[in-house]
Amino acid sequence: MQNISGSITGSHPLHEDRPRLRLLSSIDGGLVISALLLAAIGLLTVHSASAELPVDYFPRQAAWVAVGLVLLVISMSFDYHVLLDFSVVLYGLGLASLAAVLAVGVERGGAANWLQIGPWQFQPSEFAKLATGLFLARYLAGLNMRVLELRQIAIAIVIVAVPMVLVAVEPDMGGAGMYAPLLACMLLVAGIRVRMLVIAAVIGLVLGSGVWMFGMKSYQRQRVLTFLAPETDPLGAGYQVRQSKIAVGSGKLLGKGYMQGTQSQLRFLPARHTDFILAVLAEEWGFLGVAAVLGLYGIFFTSGARIAMRARDRAGILLVMGLLSITCFHVLYNSAMVVGFMPNTGIPLPFLSYGGSFTMINFIATGIILGVDIRRYVNR
Amino acid sequence: MQVVREHRDDLIGRVRVLTAVATGLLVAIATGFWFVQLVQGDYYRELAENNRLRKLPIKAPRGLIYDRKGRLLVENVPSYNLMLDRSRAEHLDRSLAFAAEVLELPLDELQALMETYRPIPEFKPVLLAENLTLSQVARFGVESLEYPEFEVEVQHLRLYRHRQQTAHLLGYLGEATEEEIAASRGAYQPGDLVGKKGIEQTYDAILRGADGERVVVVDSRGELLREYGSNPAVPGRNLKLSIDLDLQQEAARWLDGPEKVGAVIAMDPRNGEILALVSSPSYNPNIFARRLQRADWQALVDDPNHPLQNRAIQNTYSPGSTFKIVMETAGLTEAVFNEHTAVGCSGAKSFYGRPFRCWRVGGHGMVNAHSALKLSCDVYFYTLGQKMGIERIARYARLFGLGSPTGIDLSGEKRGLVPDPDWSLAARKHPWYPGETISVSIGQGPVLLTPLQMAEMTALVANGGYRVIPHLVKDARMPPPKRVALDDEALRAVRGGMWAVVNEPGGTAYGSARLPGVEIAGKSGTVQVIAYAQRIRPESMPFKYRDHAWFTSFAPAENPELVVTVFAEHGGGGSRVAAPIAQAVYAKYFGIDYGKPPAP
Repeated sequence: MQNISGSITGSHPLHEDRPRLRLLSSIDGGLVISALLLAAIGLLTVHSASAELPVDYFPRQAAWVAVGLVLLVISMSFDYHVLLDFSVVLYGLGLASLAAVLAVGVERGGAANWLQIGPWQFQPSEFAKLATGLFLARYLAGLNMRVLELRQIAIAIVIVAVPMVLVAVEPDMGGAGMYAPLLACMLLVAGIRVRMLVIAAVIGLVLGSGVWMFGMKSYQRQRVLTFLAPETDPLGAGYQVRQSKIAVGSGKLLGKGYMQGTQSQLRFLPARHTDFILAVLAEEWGFLGVAAVLGLYGIFFTSGARIAMRARDRAGILLVMGLLSITCFHVLYNSAMVVGFMPNTGIPLPFLSYGGSFTMINFIATGIILGVDIRRYVNR
Repeated sequence: MQVVREHRDDLIGRVRVLTAVATGLLVAIATGFWFVQLVQGDYYRELAENNRLRKLPIKAPRGLIYDRKGRLLVENVPSYNLMLDRSRAEHLDRSLAFAAEVLELPLDELQALMETYRPIPEFKPVLLAENLTLSQVARFGVESLEYPEFEVEVQHLRLYRHRQQTAHLLGYLGEATEEEIAASRGAYQPGDLVGKKGIEQTYDAILRGADGERVVVVDSRGELLREYGSNPAVPGRNLKLSIDLDLQQEAARWLDGPEKVGAVIAMDPRNGEILALVSSPSYNPNIFARRLQRADWQALVDDPNHPLQNRAIQNTYSPGSTFKIVMETAGLTEAVFNEHTAVGCSGAKSFYGRPFRCWRVGGHGMVNAHSALKLSCDVYFYTLGQKMGIERIARYARLFGLGSPTGIDLSGEKRGLVPDPDWSLAARKHPWYPGETISVSIGQGPVLLTPLQMAEMTALVANGGYRVIPHLVKDARMPPPKRVALDDEALRAVRGGMWAVVNEPGGTAYGSARLPGVEIAGKSGTVQVIAYAQRIRPESMPFKYRDHAWFTSFAPAENPELVVTVFAEHGGGGSRVAAPIAQAVYAKYFGIDYGKPPAP
């Protein structure tokens, strides 16, 4: 397997010496505690959000969190170099599952991005995102240079572009958009000239307008337009954003109390247990609740960044930053959307939003980051 | 790995920058929340507490249906339904007790109803009672402060003004089934009423229009404060039918009553417009407008005469002697016989070693094309049929449109049956018997057609050989009528024979269909239900053993404007039972007072 990935990256083997495993004492408390607290807050809020829904999503989400914790421990116990060596296989699997979704996907809410395997439905785009991050980290880790060459940047772009396009044609523009920060963050960390950034921005603009004109469905364009001028379409997509803002704003400083949010409990708020869960929290716990949650995310990010900075090798840094960038962008985008800064593209909030695939992937990513951390001491 | 030799410091520097950027964005978003929740918090709190947005559907009024002279057949009438929002009820039992008192219903009945609503989410208002009286509506209005959980909803119901008389024609509405919703591509929502039968079904897309939506601001008590935005409903379009209500009612009157089973069709042979289409027994479609009463439905389903069936298009029957129209046109077109070919009728004739009887015991003597139709002489047509052979007979029957749907704008039309040797082998697994050809020649045997096909066939004779598509909407754009390969002279001779049936002494309907002032041409038919030997006087026979009666006709004999086809299931003799009904329809159409009592 080393040869498979070696032939792509054309570089040295990744684990010539095994780092010694430090035990639990070396686990980063900030990362773990912030993730667990966020998941706990998420469970409480999911319960409140589904009070008026036909089903209480709390037990299911609790089960997902439990499964997620097991997966966290498993992914932590893997040596991340092994994961990186396997990344080409994972990446291939990710692409295959995305292709399968296009062929036999189950449609939910406009986009066919669910795969049905027996009684289980899952979203391969979540898994593919993780696999792409791993593979990109593997590729960039092998390039030991101060600044990336154009050819290497091009390869990195291709690695990300393939799954991105597959997700975009589902069509899931929000999901596809999540790949862009992953690529940007990884390239920035790996080393890229300012000139390249400008060129990338120009290309992005051209591509964006191309997608707008030819690649988007009318409901997606409508969403963007509604975001720009929500009052023009009070019946359609603007309704959601407006309801979310009313929920958030009416929470004021202290909130209306747990399970007391009128916007949430009276069913004005759409997708309140998934994408708009932060609006429920903001209504019921007020600005203090929001500040606490955003603070926990801040702790999660800075802890993650600390782990990246003290990682043992270039591969570790890149891997942690890649995974972190995905989570970070989800958080930034979702919270900005809830407060009305961004259009609604169906991006959930890590650890808080209800959802099986999404919850598990977040815990797996956290586990991998922790796995990098506990192998940081060089044994020599 | 080159742990130490990597460009590690560069990477770490960039990680620091990225972390700072992310943290900065997080703080910016937190500031956004601070602004919305603290600076604008009062504004949004007010919106949330006192001004709530509520989406209300605006139902599109369904299109009205008129007859050809602009008389209303279907209208929408308001009906008041009592809805209960259980989530707003403080004590459900107290609410129900109040409702039971106002509605004058037993309390346990309402409680049983509530049990059935248990799976429906509490906040979704449920239907407690339909069709409230105005005083009941007022009572709930007055008590709305005390009982805010009750809401009176106005719903527009379809009212079919002429009830049974137009039931099969217009059809009715019903709640859309899951399959219909799936097939409609978003046009139907769960709970929508959609056309289930008749015109309501065929033209549902035109009649229903498009529902709209209104977003209103309501206060915390649910009182409407103002409109926030709306998307108006597009009303359904009205429909003008080719039906003439006078003829429809006249025909329906004749088929009204016990043991009146059958169908009447009046059609313009020039363009296929249907002026009357009646099937009996019928049903009151207004019972379908309300949530179905099981007992009513069960009674309709269990009725041995199947009132829900539209006999004009959904049932097939033997044509009996009316099939002689097809036979004679075919024989003359094919020149098997000419108009002067004479056949001797002595009351019976032997074919393939078996005697076939003429309906008239003594026989008709020498019979030609004209008198054969007029007297309905069986022996003449046996002889013609033997010479034609079943395959040619079948070919001409199909030219007349038999064996395939007419294409009328109603669903469920049957295609009937034109038998031939291929059909016999395929469906019955035995070869065609030559003797069957003799039976088919007088319309017995396995030939089957719907009353509408009979009218179509008659129209083809009346209009000189053009196939028109029967339809129910006035001024519908139809494809031009197709000319059918039938000889003009043959059709003229058949029209002459049919004229003689009604207008020449000795014609089978001379006494029963003649009308002063207009010349009717027609052909009667009697279909035996049981064998000859067991026959007794028709009136004393049990209903289900009586003969079926046909009378199909057109008028005026020159330049026909109207085809009238009458079928009376177990009615008895065609000329005796069916012809007078056609006569009455013509009298109505031409405005002739012929001095007969209005109904039997």
